[in-house]
Amino acid sequence: MAEKVLDIQNLKVEFDTHGGIVQAVRGVSYSVEKGKTLAVVGESGCGKSVTVQSIMGLIPKPPGRVTQGKALLNGVDLLSLSDKESRQYRGRDIGMIFQDAMSSLNPTMTVGEQIAETLQIHKGMSKQDALKKAVNLLDLTRIPEAHKRIKQYPFEFSGGMLQRAMIAMSIACKPQVLIADEPTTALDVTVQDQVLELMKDLQREEGMAIILITHDLGVVAKMADDVAVMYAGEIVESGTVDEVFYKSAHPYTLGLKSAMPSMERNSHTGLVSIDGTPPDLFNPPQGCAYTARCPAAMKLCRSRKVEIFSSESGHRSQCWLHHKEAPVSVTAPINRFSGAEV
Amino acid sequence: MSKYVFKRLLSGFFTVFFIATVTFFGMHAIPGDPLSSDKVMSEASKEALNKKYGFDKPLYEQYFIFLKNTAQGDFGMSFTKKGQDVNDIIKQGFSESAKLGVLAILFAAFGGILWGALTAKYRNKWPDYLIMIFVILGISVPSFVFASFAQLFIVFLNQELNLVFPYRGDGSFVSLLVPALVLGLGTMAFLTRLMRSSLLEVINSDFVRTAKAKGLNSWQIFKSHELRNSILPVITILGPAIASITTGSFVIETIFTIPGLGKQFVEGVQQNDYTLIMGTTVFYGSFLVLMVLVVDIVYGFVDPRIKVGESK
Repeated sequence: MAEKVLDIQNLKVEFDTHGGIVQAVRGVSYSVEKGKTLAVVGESGCGKSVTVQSIMGLIPKPPGRVTQGKALLNGVDLLSLSDKESRQYRGRDIGMIFQDAMSSLNPTMTVGEQIAETLQIHKGMSKQDALKKAVNLLDLTRIPEAHKRIKQYPFEFSGGMLQRAMIAMSIACKPQVLIADEPTTALDVTVQDQVLELMKDLQREEGMAIILITHDLGVVAKMADDVAVMYAGEIVESGTVDEVFYKSAHPYTLGLKSAMPSMERNSHTGLVSIDGTPPDLFNPPQGCAYTARCPAAMKLCRSRKVEIFSSESGHRSQCWLHHKEAPVSVTAPINRFSGAEV
Repeated sequence: MSKYVFKRLLSGFFTVFFIATVTFFGMHAIPGDPLSSDKVMSEASKEALNKKYGFDKPLYEQYFIFLKNTAQGDFGMSFTKKGQDVNDIIKQGFSESAKLGVLAILFAAFGGILWGALTAKYRNKWPDYLIMIFVILGISVPSFVFASFAQLFIVFLNQELNLVFPYRGDGSFVSLLVPALVLGLGTMAFLTRLMRSSLLEVINSDFVRTAKAKGLNSWQIFKSHELRNSILPVITILGPAIASITTGSFVIETIFTIPGLGKQFVEGVQQNDYTLIMGTTVFYGSFLVLMVLVVDIVYGFVDPRIKVGESK
């Protein structure tokens, strides 16, 4: 088994708001291996962005706070470091790209300067050297006429170009982990494909691990080795991409899959959606958070905290249906494990 | 760029022309004419004045004479200050007022940016509350109150510590410091509020988050990302503020006895000094127009998205 580059263990994040405390992340664990891609999927507000932003120290504190958990980067817990110490890792060992490249780049600074900045602070390069390196990086991300482009400002770039520039910026210091927070959501499909291809190629060349946050299952299928499905601040299912897609072991994953638009399905039936809304994270339910929307919900689901069940291969699911005493349900055709609790 | 500047200068010219026209007819709409002063004037001097300004001719002819003189930069002699050219009065007054004003603007701009940045960084913590209390004082308390208290304070300090810090203008640089601070106080307070709200917006923007993700420390983030993006509204205000502050403040100049332009202007109005009022008004108008143009050009340097004078 390959080494885990980034290992998140039981992370809990809360936010103070006027309405009370929001438990945005409620005990999330996942890890990513060298050279592999982990996709984190889930609907809006399920905590997938907050998880990565909190390990990068990007959530505003206050109102946000990490109450529990570890984020081990090669064994170093990023969450226990001081701000000064964790700055060393940010941008150097973990690169990050964001959804909206236009607003994520400084409008009053040339693209070249913004790429060079990372090299200047982490590698101690002079501005000239860093700018030269920036040209190479833009070349690497297949931006034509890079030497001209570095002198331009973000508003002179197109959306796809900006996302490439953003990628160039985040891989400048050859990070071990690249976190991509919905990198292609704002792009149209053809450009989306080019950007994803670019990320894959760079991963092959540099051997970095990628955490890809998305709600597009098509992107997951294209990119990911492993998948973690998040719901209401928890990981409800995780495993390899084949396991999660073809042997789905959680009713929510099934729901997500059936909500995908399909070419074969009769267009008259329209789009399928999961009934109901996610639970209130001010006051999360005692039992399984998905109970209210789950077609296979049992009495037990409402009251008892779900345990995590795992197959021999490491495919995990947080659902009572895997318990050996659970009744055989027809409403949720999930792939049952043999009742192994973790 | 040069085409743009030319266009702006042309429109500025019309603005100044308009100001001059309104001032001219305004002056003639008030009762009395420039010659009806208490002092008895000799026939000879009356005739000389008539010859120069055409006071015995119809209004429209006077207007054209006025325009012609103004276009040549000649505002004539002062009617109340014996033997003084209005141009000289403006030159002298402005050189005093500008010295004071430039200092005041420096105080206001640097103070405003500094305090504004501090309040935004310490938002809803005690430094924010403390500074904002002073800001509200600075905006709401009239400058003559501050000026008087500042003078009182200097005198008190001089007494207690046996100093000889000048409490009024004596031509030296040191004597300008306190008046400049008082003069800039209102603008400083205003700029602080402006900088605070503008910076708060920038602090929460996506590109600042990117900068954090790159591992920059908060000073680097402020210096190269937040400052430049938040300073635009401050520059907008700074243009007109430079014009109004450097052309003098009657209150400050009177209290600290500085022979500046503001004092001349108010005295001119009080004494119905025809030429002095015209001269100072047109001067102030032109200077304001120029400053606003300068600000628009500076925009282009601060924010590359603003392309001055390039039409697409």
